[in-house]
Amino acid sequence: MKKVLKPLILVIVLALVPYVGVTYGKLDYLFAIIVPYAATAILVLGMIWRLIDWLRRPVPFRIPTTCGQEQSLDWIKTNPLECPSNPFMAAMRVLSEVFLFRSLFRNTRAELHSGPKLVYGSHKWLWLGGLAFHWSLLIVVIRHARFFFEAMPFPVQMIETMDSLLDVTVPTLFLTDAVALAAVTFLVLRRLQDEKMRLISLSTDYFPLFLIGAIAAIGVSMRYVTKVNIMPVKALTLSLAHFGFDAPEPIGALFYVHLFLVCVLLAYVPFSKLVHMGAIFLSPTRNLPNDSRAKRHVNPWNPDIKFRTYAEYEDEFREKMKKAGLPVEKQ
Amino acid sequence: MNKFNQFLVALVAGVAVFVAVGFFLIAGHRGSASLTAADVVAQTPAAVGKGAPVDSAKCIMPVDYMRAHHMQVLDKWRKDSVRKGTRTFVNPEGAHFDKSLNTCMGCHGSNPMFCFMCHEYANVKPTCWNCHLSPMEVPQ
Repeated sequence: MKKVLKPLILVIVLALVPYVGVTYGKLDYLFAIIVPYAATAILVLGMIWRLIDWLRRPVPFRIPTTCGQEQSLDWIKTNPLECPSNPFMAAMRVLSEVFLFRSLFRNTRAELHSGPKLVYGSHKWLWLGGLAFHWSLLIVVIRHARFFFEAMPFPVQMIETMDSLLDVTVPTLFLTDAVALAAVTFLVLRRLQDEKMRLISLSTDYFPLFLIGAIAAIGVSMRYVTKVNIMPVKALTLSLAHFGFDAPEPIGALFYVHLFLVCVLLAYVPFSKLVHMGAIFLSPTRNLPNDSRAKRHVNPWNPDIKFRTYAEYEDEFREKMKKAGLPVEKQ
Repeated sequence: MNKFNQFLVALVAGVAVFVAVGFFLIAGHRGSASLTAADVVAQTPAAVGKGAPVDSAKCIMPVDYMRAHHMQVLDKWRKDSVRKGTRTFVNPEGAHFDKSLNTCMGCHGSNPMFCFMCHEYANVKPTCWNCHLSPMEVPQ
């Protein structure tokens, strides 16, 4: 239980920091200007550092996975997406992973039945929940562009129109708001309800879920229930988008809780499991074409071995070999 | 064809159908909407502006409340007046107001940019003007 409670308490404390700071300490400037810039800098520099670190590591060999038939003889049917033989299909494989979570689609679950009988079955709930979670969060983030642009770009507007398709409640309900909250709840419960999942879940698994859940809950609450004055918010976000340092007009403390938790999330990304948002593109089992049979791949850190050919050997010992009566190739 | 490829095909087909239907719906809607708006402008010029019965020169609620909740007030007023037929709003101070957009426009109609200043700035598109004449469409 400690693994669950510690991150939960941490998120609550993190949420209280800006609330107390803004309400009692008049620290608006710190939480509106300094913390967001610092968090963004940590995110950008941290991700660059992380990616450069990974990109510099040589990956000399292809890792053929057993998901599909590799390109072979003409009469053997290949599976170009699961086992690509060229960079283009490898890119498609990465994109199917990024956009559709292809690997999670393969997820299976082992269950022990009475007998005793071990049964493996397809288990798509994690795939579905993860897909709903990531896509709704992406759309939520894109929708926030309305705060950072003076006029909304057309694609963003289109996404917003699609998102508010139901046209219920005032302000209009965004589907992704509901889906994101439902999905994050599912992902927390998924870790909690199963004994095996509880065992392998760490506090670093729960912390991002609680953090994102808190951010989403506060954002939804600000939109539909506990209102904040949107005019100074827009002024602040526009100023942030233009790298301005103007002190903001008074905004509700709840907004600063939302903003601060987002900043914590941004700064947390490069140093946690959330770095998978960049690392997914570098997965060697996904982004390398499986052409081990067609091409020779030489390990770049092989030591420079000095080979001695038989011709050289014979050159050195030819006379001795002749005297001993051994056959020589060259006279 | 394994399961995932089938899923891919189904997904692409579904998205294609969705986009196509959405495109035709939006395209059709756009055309008809602009047509009716033009008709209304031609038939009833300056229908708003004149002002409905307003009880006082003050707003129905304090400024902060109106800033945060005006959309919910308008939505409730629409439901009350159109569906329930209760057309009178009594605010906490006991003042009476007609539940109508004209009550708002009685004061705020004088500035045709009153709604648009904030809504344009915050990129929020209200649905009011899908049916009602917006102050921008009324010749001043």
